[in-house]
Order: sequence, then C-alpha cells, then structure tokens
Amino acid sequence: MSAISRRSPGEWLQLALGGAVVCAMFYPAVWMVLSSFKTNREIFKHPFGLPNDWKWSNFAEAWDKGGLGGLYLNSVIVTATAVTLTVCLATAAAFAFSRLEFPGRRWLYRILLIGLLLPPPVVAIPLFAILRDLGLLNTLTALVLAGTAWSLSLTIFIMTGYFNSIRPDMEEAAMLEGANIWQIFRDISVPMVWPSMLTLAIVNTINIWNELMFALLFIVDDEKRTLPVGLIRFFGRYSTDYAMVFAALTITTVPILALYFLLQRHVIAGLSATAMD
Amino acid sequence: MKLFTGLAITGAMALLAATTALADVEIRITHPMSSGAGKEAFDTIVAAFEAANPGVTVKQIVFDDDIYSDTGLITQLQSNEVPDIYFQWAGYPVQRDVEAGYAYDLSAAMSDGWKDTFIESAFSPGSGTAFDGKIYMVPISLDVTNTIWYNKTIFAENGLVPPATWDDFLALVKVLAAAGETPIVTGNNELWPLGNWASHIAARTVPSAEYDAAFRQQKTFAEAGFLKPLELMQGLAEAGAFNKDMQGLGADPAMAAFFQEAAAMHPIGSWLVGSEGDLAVEGFDYGQFDTPVIDPAMNGSKSVIGTMTGFVQHAKAAHPAEATAFLKFLTSQDEAVRWAQSGAISPVEGVAEKANLSPQMKGMADMLAGADAMVSPPDTTYPVPVAEAYYQAAAYAASGEKSAADALTWLDETVGAMPKP
Amino acid sequence: MADRNNRHRPISTGASNLLFVAPAMLVFGLFVLWPLASSVYYAFTSWSGYAAPDWVGLDNFRRAIFDDPVHLASYLHVTLYILGTLVLEVSFGLVMAVMLNSDRPGYSIMRGMFFSPMVLSMTAAGVLWAFVLDYRLGLLNSVLRGVGLQDWAQPWLSQSSTALIAIMFVSGWKFSGFYMVIFFAALRRIPRSIYEAATLDGATPVKQFFTITLPLLRQQMLTCVLLAVTGGFAGFDLFFTMTNGGPFDTTQVPATWIIRQGFDNNQLGYATAMTVILAVVVLIVSIIYLRLTERGDHVRH
Repeated sequence: MSAISRRSPGEWLQLALGGAVVCAMFYPAVWMVLSSFKTNREIFKHPFGLPNDWKWSNFAEAWDKGGLGGLYLNSVIVTATAVTLTVCLATAAAFAFSRLEFPGRRWLYRILLIGLLLPPPVVAIPLFAILRDLGLLNTLTALVLAGTAWSLSLTIFIMTGYFNSIRPDMEEAAMLEGANIWQIFRDISVPMVWPSMLTLAIVNTINIWNELMFALLFIVDDEKRTLPVGLIRFFGRYSTDYAMVFAALTITTVPILALYFLLQRHVIAGLSATAMD
Repeated sequence: MKLFTGLAITGAMALLAATTALADVEIRITHPMSSGAGKEAFDTIVAAFEAANPGVTVKQIVFDDDIYSDTGLITQLQSNEVPDIYFQWAGYPVQRDVEAGYAYDLSAAMSDGWKDTFIESAFSPGSGTAFDGKIYMVPISLDVTNTIWYNKTIFAENGLVPPATWDDFLALVKVLAAAGETPIVTGNNELWPLGNWASHIAARTVPSAEYDAAFRQQKTFAEAGFLKPLELMQGLAEAGAFNKDMQGLGADPAMAAFFQEAAAMHPIGSWLVGSEGDLAVEGFDYGQFDTPVIDPAMNGSKSVIGTMTGFVQHAKAAHPAEATAFLKFLTSQDEAVRWAQSGAISPVEGVAEKANLSPQMKGMADMLAGADAMVSPPDTTYPVPVAEAYYQAAAYAASGEKSAADALTWLDETVGAMPKP
Repeated sequence: MADRNNRHRPISTGASNLLFVAPAMLVFGLFVLWPLASSVYYAFTSWSGYAAPDWVGLDNFRRAIFDDPVHLASYLHVTLYILGTLVLEVSFGLVMAVMLNSDRPGYSIMRGMFFSPMVLSMTAAGVLWAFVLDYRLGLLNSVLRGVGLQDWAQPWLSQSSTALIAIMFVSGWKFSGFYMVIFFAALRRIPRSIYEAATLDGATPVKQFFTITLPLLRQQMLTCVLLAVTGGFAGFDLFFTMTNGGPFDTTQVPATWIIRQGFDNNQLGYATAMTVILAVVVLIVSIIYLRLTERGDHVRH
C-alpha cells in the first residue's frame, strides 16, 4: 500500500458519516426486500432481523395473485414505446433548436417550458376528454402518447443544452461538403449525442415506468393496466397481508433498481450534462 | 343438490337462448366488488350465467371502492365504449345518471312480473331506485351503512353488555378507555366512515324536515339544530373513544384492526361480514348493536341508516337484451340466495328467509325488520360537497381538533360558500 | 436550460427546418397545450362531468380566490413544503455531494444507494412509508416505544401538527439524491489544485467548503432552488399517496385539491378554474425563473 492510498483521519470521518447517512437512506429498501421473505407474524414480531426461514414462495404467490405477469408486460410495452418516441422526437427537436434557425424558434422553445412547470394532473380532465374524442381511451396508445408528451419538455431542454455544449464544427464541415440537413443529423449529430440519448432514455424509463395518474384515469380493463395501478389495487385487496405486499413491491422494484445500478454512470453523467448548468 | 339446480337452470336458459337467438356477444359489467366473499359469489353467478347462455360472455371491470366512486365509474360512463351494466348506489347518484341520460328505463322490462319478485319497498318513492314512476336500478343488496360491531371477548373481559341508551354507551366507552383498550377504531381518511355514523346520530337528534333543509342548503346547519349531534361527537372524543390515528387511517386497515382485536368496537356498514374470512384472527367472536337510543321522544329513535345498492343498465348499452337478461338472472331466486349467503341482505322477496345466513347477518335482517324509519346516507342523497362538509365537521368534533360549536361555525361557513343548487 | 447565450451560430436557416421540431411540437401541442387551452372554457362553467356545462362567468374564479379557504391554504402548504424541500432536499443534497465526493472504492456504490429512492415509484415509497409511520404497528413508533419513549410515539400522518412535516421528510428521503447528483457532477469539474493550494495555506475543509465550493456552485444552486420551487408546485403523487390532503386539509396542495374538487365532488368546472389559476401562478414563477437564469448567465460571462 502506498502512502497516497492511506486514509487520513478526516477521510475516515467522511466515510463514517457518509456511510451512516447512506445506510439510513437505503435501509427502507433493504427492509422491504427482507420483509418480503418473512411471514406476516414475523414482520410484526421481528421487524428488523433476517427472516427465520426464507419464504421464496411469497413471490410466486404474489406473482399469481396480483397477475403481475400481465401488468409487467403492459408496463414494458408502454415504457419502451414511449421512451423510444420521446428520445427520438426530442433529439430531432433539440438538434433544430440548437443548430438551426427557423421562424418562431424562440417562442416554441419558451412554450415548451410550460410542460416542465405544470403538474400533469391539472390537465387530467380536458386530456381525458380529448383522448375520448380521439377514441383512445382504454388503450395503451393513450398512455404512450400522454407519457411522451409530458416527457418531451425536460428531454428537449437537457438535449438542447447538450448540443449547445458541443461546437458545431463537424456539422459545419459537412455542410461545406454539400451534405443536406437530414444527412448531417443522421450521420454526424446523432452519433455525437448518442451517450446523452441513452442517459435520457434511462431517466425517462424511470419516470414513465412509475407513472400512476394517467394509467389510473385512462385505462379501464384489467388486462390493459400497468404495474403502478395494478399494485395500488393489489395493496387495496391485500392491505393487511404485509408479506404479500412486500413481495409484490420487491418483484416490481428490484429490476428497475438493478437497471439503475448497472447504468448509474450514464445517469449521473447525463443529468450533470451542461443542461443543468 | 346445487349441481342439479344448476343443470335445470342451464336447460331452461338453453331453451331461452334458442328462442331469443342470443348471438356471440360480450357484455361489460363494472363494479367495485374487488375482494371477499361477495366477489366470489358474484364470480360464481357470472360463471353460471355464461354456462346457461352459450355465446354470451361477461366481462367484469373491477375497481376498488374509492377509486370506483371517484374516477373509475365516471371515466367509463364518458368513454366511447360504455359498460352495459354498472354498479351504483341508490338515490342521488342514480338520479344524476338519469338526468345525464346514462340510466336506461327498465320499467317495460319490469312489467312482466319481474318487479313483483322484489320486496314492496324496493321501488317505492324515496327508495332511490325509481324516479317519476320509472325504474332505473335493479337493487341487489340492502346495505346498512352504519351499525356498531363489537368484540364479544373484549366486552366479556370488561363485564360489558351492548348498551340501551346513549348514556350507557358513553359509560361503556369510559370503562374501556380506563382499561387501556381502544374503545372505537375508525378509519376516517375518506371522511365517510365516521360521517355516516354522525349522520345517523344527526337523524336521531334533528327533526327530519330540518335535517333535510340543511343538507339541501335551505337552512344553515346551526338553525336546523346540528349542534346537538356534533356535541355528542365531542363527548365521545372527550371520553377517549377513538383511535388516535383515525384521520390518517383508511377504512380497510381500520376494519382489519378490529378483526385483529386492536379495538373493542368498529362502527361501519353491513359489508363488514363479508371480510371476516379474509381478516379475522382465529377464534374471533363478534356481535352487533345499533346506535343506542339518544332521545326516546324523537321520531325514528329506532331508525336504521342504509341504502340500496344494485346495477343500472346503461342507456347506450351495446347489448341491451343480454344485459337485461343478466340482471334478471342475477335477481332470480337461486342466484339471489347465493348472493345473500355471501353476506348481503337481498331485496328479492323471500330470499332473506331462505338463505343460510350467519348470526351477524341474521341480526342485520332482524334490525331492518324492526326499524321504525330508514335514513339514507347524505352522500347518496344530497349534493356530495355538502354531505362531505358535514362529515368533516363531525370529524373535527370527534377528533378534538375543534369544539362542537367551532365545527358548526366552520360547517356553515364552508357550505355557505358553495353555489346554491 | 441555457439557451440564448450559449448557442452557436446556426448552420442552416429557413422554414423547412421546422420539420425537425414538428413531430415533437405536434405531440406536445395535442396532449399538453390543447388540454390546457380547452380547460379555459370549462373554467367559466358549472359542470359536474355528467350533464352539459352551464356558463357561469367568473363565479368559479370569485369562489376560488375569495370563498375557498382550503384553496388559499393549499398555496400556503405548498409554500411551506417548498421551503422544507430547500433544506431537506437541496441543502442536504449539497452536503451529501461533498461528503460522497471521493474516488476511494465504495463511494460510487454509496452514491448509487443514496440516489436509489429516486428510482422507486411513488406507489412503492408510499406503501413503504405508510408502514414506517403507522401509529399502531409502524416501525418508527415501535422503535420509540422499544427504547422507552412511549410519549414520543405519534400518529404522524393523522394529526395536523405533524402530517406536513412528515411528508417533507419523506420527500427529502425520496428526492435529495437528485440534487446530490447535480451538485456532485459540478464538484467533479472544480480543479483539485484549488483545494490543494487552500490546504497548503492552512484552510480547514469546512472553511474550504464555504470559501471555494459554495461560490463555485452558485449556478447549480440557482438551478436547484428553481427546480425545487417549480417541482414543488407540480407535486402531486407524494401528497396523493401519503395523505391525499388530510387530515383536515392540512396537507392539501393545489394539485390534490383540484383533483378532489373535480373528481370526488364532481365540480369539474370549478376544478378547471383552479387549474387556470395554478397555471397562471406557475407562469409567473416561470417568468421570474427565466429572468434569474438570464441574470445568472450575465454573471458568468
């Protein structure tokens, strides 16, 4: 061990304090997972310990009772479609806002701000009426379109900031060589901002995956419901069967947590891109 | 035996199907029966109907109670693909559906003798199922929306018996509180659980014309004499009657707490019986008594608070004939008995006697039979915001957040700001 | 969010470039702007959602501004909540960003753990915290009773005095990771040599925090404060799952009250009027926001 890697007392203090806070913050999630292996009795009698007997069967039971398979599938369909749509539309728009000039550019950009500042529930009522008139109520398409529309603002803002942080030298050079705008966008700009697109895809995945309000209002059929709504129903029905509740919570949150830990670097890099300066 | 009845019905319905030539159709039914014995019974009835009607399938669209009444139903009624049949509470909700053109007039379908299979009061004026002489709702249950359930073991341990008067009741609450028990558990975060009870108490202490005038915004609640019921609520609070977390607790967790012996009493509706199997600890023993007599001089000192629930056929149902056929099937003797045995008091004539009821349900039925008046819950009778304001005033007094007098002032100010009908 | 000042010279001009923004603006217009605009009409009507709307002029607005104490109180609550988030989310996030800023092994995973509540759905977080804060069986009260502090056990979400504060803490748990990440990324861009020089001059880490770190993070703090303010007004899920406005409307914020009036009480016309008011308030905030970011840019350049 070299001298550089030895920790100073200050660093030990930093580790101890930081570690304690982090553990406290993370504990509820750990506790949720541990509780999902226990029986109801054990959750109340020994809320803090490890399970006496790891009851894996809780998961199978929650999966069956909650019909989690179908809910999962719907959530995956909605999230994948909406996230792809959001990132593609937002990248094209951000490219235009940053690299191109066109009539109304500043105004359109400002209007987008509304989407960033307004909570979706406040337009739930008229949005419902519009989806009805379009014949989209009770379809996954409604969730995809509404989810996309309400994700566009933030995504475009961050993406535009990212474009602005890169000098347009490559694009200008291509322009001089006679490439058209579409070719420049496809062959130069998109590959350039590809890492940012991935980051924004992850951020939007978290948001849309967890979206509750639209799913609650716009979907009627059991077989078209997404995970958050299905879970609310599940909790209502098994409100006192805590082992079941925690098993269902664990099944539905651990994958998204794992996805986050795998791609953590990208999220942090993306959120901290110049857009947040 | 059941198998044979089932076969007989199947045969009869097959004939019917042949004559009326029911095509391959799906009828959509939406309701908030999401769990418990009621759901099981309903599923069985649906399966029997499908077996009896080849080519007809029933699709159930189920929401939890609160979501159903807040957003679940209205969003469906307004969508392009409306449900053929939907669950509704009798009274103001049905009337509103009639005015908005959602409810189908079932009078013609009822005229062939179907109507006579129900008890007489099922469609009487004021029943909330019929308006202007036209029938809009097929009732399936008489719900007592509030009565007092008690834990027999805890009562016995403290040497207590169901009280006859309000003073006895208050004394009993004090005994329980002194013994370290939670006398009453209620989950009031949606305001209606305690609100219903407080309304029943108001109906026992406020003359009925005044009561009606206040909820219709024709008189202030103070003028109508609502101080008294709020004072009774305050008195309970001072006696330490309620669980401390009643304003944050949901109705279902509160019921679970009662079934887990965490409290001696739980004021809630007759549907509690249907959850016993899911929630009660082993050996749980419980009984029921109604709100004790407050003022023997008042009319309706033995009143019961309740309403009917049932199904409305949508005016724009895609398959009206099949929808009506289902409603007839649902209220036929055998199916009504099946439904009643899941923990309901059926408005179908003769079912209550025929069904094999639990002692608790039997108590309910007897109580209904002996009642001298029927009080409807304000939130299914009057405009919802006014009803909810009273519920909240009652919660203020019952939780000790405001005195009865302050709660009353708050109530009249709040209702005064609402638009008049 | 920086636009004008950071922008480079456009590589192309002309109306045909609109094609690149058209798809996004179409979706945004149809499902964000159009519902917002159409709600303006309903705001002037009495509409239950069942029967046809009746024109009532300015009645809804008069009621919302003068006759609805809960509506007015909801703005007070949201303001208190936002002030709370500045401490429990922004400041806490900043402190933790400094605390977790190290290349030593383990810190990356610790940052991930700190951020993880952000990833959980509000539904999951709500259920989890309902269990922690439950009066009778909750973890928090169990611990308090276990260590002999019976009197400290409270019905946290059921009484007016503690409900809003409890929500603020849950909010801090849920969202502080977001601010930590923003500050952390900015910290990484501060050259280490500045700190090394300060250490040689004998400055303590605490002094370095106040004299170097804070001034250099000015821009991020401005952004975070504004995100907290605007995000606070948009807050719905947290309040809806934790208390739904109760007890006694003491945690009612504009969004929950609008939904309550619109859907529970079938006063969709009145609810849309309050929506319009919220939109106006948010618009004013957004104008201030734009001014501030513009000024911030001037300071930097």
